[in-house]
Amino acid sequence: MFLHELFYQIKCSLKTKELYIWIILFPAFLGIVFKAALYDIYNRQTKFETVPAAVVTVRDDPIFSQVTKGINESEDPMFSFTFFSADEEQKALELLDSEEVGGVIYLEDELSMKVKYDGMKATMLKTFIETYTFQETIIKDAVMKDPLGYQKVADALTEDISTVTEVPLIPEGTNTNYMTQYFYNLLAMVALFGSMTGLRKTVESQANLSALGARRSCSPVKKSVTTVAGLTANFIVQSLCMVFSVTFIRFVLKVDLGDKLPMIYLTAVISGLLGVCLGFLIGSAGTFSEDSKEGISTVVSLLMCFLSGLMAGDMRIKIEDRIPIINRINPSALISDCFFSLNMFSDYSRYITDIVSILIISFIFALIGFVLTRRRKYASL
Amino acid sequence: MENTIVKIEGLVKRYSELIALDHLDLEIKEGEVFGLLGPNGSGKTTTINCLLSLLSFDKGSIEIFGRKMSPTAYDIKRDIGVIMQNVAVYEELSVYDNIDYFCGLYVKDKAVRKQYVEDAVKFVGLEEFLKFKPKKLSGGLFRRLNIACGIAHKPRLIILDEPTVAVDPQSRNKILEGIEELNRNGATIIYTSHYMEEVEQICTRIAIMDKGKKIAEGTKDELKRTIKNTETVTIEILSLPEKVREETGSLPHVYSAEYDGARLTVRCSGGKHNLIRILEVLQKNELSFGRVYTELPTLNDVFLEITGKALRDKED
Ligand SMILES: Nc1ncnc2c1ncn2[C@@H]1O[C@H](COP(=O)(O)OP(=O)(O)OP(=O)(O)O)[C@@H](O)[C@H]1O
Ligand SMILES: [Mg+2]
Repeated sequence: MFLHELFYQIKCSLKTKELYIWIILFPAFLGIVFKAALYDIYNRQTKFETVPAAVVTVRDDPIFSQVTKGINESEDPMFSFTFFSADEEQKALELLDSEEVGGVIYLEDELSMKVKYDGMKATMLKTFIETYTFQETIIKDAVMKDPLGYQKVADALTEDISTVTEVPLIPEGTNTNYMTQYFYNLLAMVALFGSMTGLRKTVESQANLSALGARRSCSPVKKSVTTVAGLTANFIVQSLCMVFSVTFIRFVLKVDLGDKLPMIYLTAVISGLLGVCLGFLIGSAGTFSEDSKEGISTVVSLLMCFLSGLMAGDMRIKIEDRIPIINRINPSALISDCFFSLNMFSDYSRYITDIVSILIISFIFALIGFVLTRRRKYASL
Repeated sequence: MENTIVKIEGLVKRYSELIALDHLDLEIKEGEVFGLLGPNGSGKTTTINCLLSLLSFDKGSIEIFGRKMSPTAYDIKRDIGVIMQNVAVYEELSVYDNIDYFCGLYVKDKAVRKQYVEDAVKFVGLEEFLKFKPKKLSGGLFRRLNIACGIAHKPRLIILDEPTVAVDPQSRNKILEGIEELNRNGATIIYTSHYMEEVEQICTRIAIMDKGKKIAEGTKDELKRTIKNTETVTIEILSLPEKVREETGSLPHVYSAEYDGARLTVRCSGGKHNLIRILEVLQKNELSFGRVYTELPTLNDVFLEITGKALRDKED
């Protein structure tokens, strides 16, 4: 009987339109939006704009000229150099004064530089000069051997400078918590949206909440069997959704979720359990209609996600400063923190605290749910 | 000769102030098609829900198959087929899956179940709609699906709560014929309705309910015999002086004569020649009249005489 119930409950869930809209399409859509928006912000915030610089040629050095021109011509250049003769020095200094260039480089026997004030641009130019000076012989050698090699040298130089000045050129592949945080929260949202399907199963098994519930209560199947089969079906389907979401985020959106991927999947499945239990609780509490319960569960889920930073990334930090207890009990915060700590720390202690909290909260929700659905006869239908 | 299938004694159900069932007694024998007839809100559904142990009640006792009914009386539940007033099927599941799901709650053996489901499908005539989702079915077919889900496991006792509400005449006939067939095959039926024609057509015994009380019980002939009305004469007539109406009303065997501006309705008890005597009065007063028809008493007349109001407000 349990298997019969389970089979049809799973079949039912898999054929529910809302499942695909709210638990699969909507999060996937949000994920794509996040990816697009955050990638853009990320690029703008961390990738420096091209630094303009003036070069005053006191003594001509064809190799230096070629390399700098190479940089100028490269795609997305780090520097853009403007060339002046020694007589035109004044012009270059004027540009520096009006901050149209970040510095003036003097090409003499040795490279020297004037800047208006210290800053990122100055540091980068300084690093460039130092790197060039340091590698001058190698560079000259390379260009001598291969007259067209100056472009390679130019690229190699910018690459070197970017590592020295710690400028990340490509965000992909770098473990950037700022961005991934949103995806952790997205996973938490998918988990909590599981409450919607959980709630439906509960309503459909209660005689006082739905016609189906009344009809099923007339059958010779024990109520506990019906309830447990419904929840199990829910959990299985929710797990599929969670696995789908992680796979989508990791392999389609190519967001780096760290190297503990199996653990990430496991954590996702456990957080899905929390969503199902939340749905069980909401479904069994009170006698209002299924629609209003669905509304409640959506609002509750989104509120939890809001507090954990789904809409504004720094929300959780703000809460941690003021009312940290919320972060300890907010299911969404716990779920996203689970992923975060998996990814960040090699030590599992914080992760374990989180996952234990999730299990305890799920258990409490389920327990209340069972108490509330214990009745078999109602004063009113 | 027959066994008692359902026995309800002194059933009282209150919804806070409202007394929905007031010391209701019912006894239903094996093989009966028992009709529970009553206007909206008379307590039919409440009776059924108490019977099924879904609702708690304040007083009284309920026995089914000679055993006390309770929510955990699974062996009793196994032999009951329930067709609720509100259709209870899964929107997501196809017609076939719905019937199979409900049948599977009662029948373990897969081969038997498959046969039962096919029988049920044939029985309600949904063969062509097996893959349909319930939402795609018309009102009548939707109700028939609900019935199939209730009877697929071949129960001994079948309870149908207003199964023909919002159903087209064709589906309605199909449903009524089906119920008679189920009964012929050995099932005892409890049928609630506020359509007296249906109840008259299929029920072997009828209880009439009003305001939570059983106000009459018996076969339809027994019920009709309890009332003085044996014949209702209706005459279409354009204008009728009050004097003539009074004269008609005072004829022997006539106990009421009403005129509504277009029709004279005369209710008579016993006696022959009622119609002739009434027409004589009209002729004597030189009144011309249109169509004349007479009706034998209906359950509505029974209800009307006992409660003083019609079973339902005109046609609905
Ligand atoms: N849950 C409830 N709470 C309060 N009153 C109720 C409830 N359910 C039914 N009632 C009242 O109890 C009375 C009997 O209702 P019931 O549904 O049994 O009538 P019914 O004979 O089935 O009517 P219908 O033909 O409309 O289905 C009605 O007056 C109704 O308003
Ligand atoms: Mg009813």
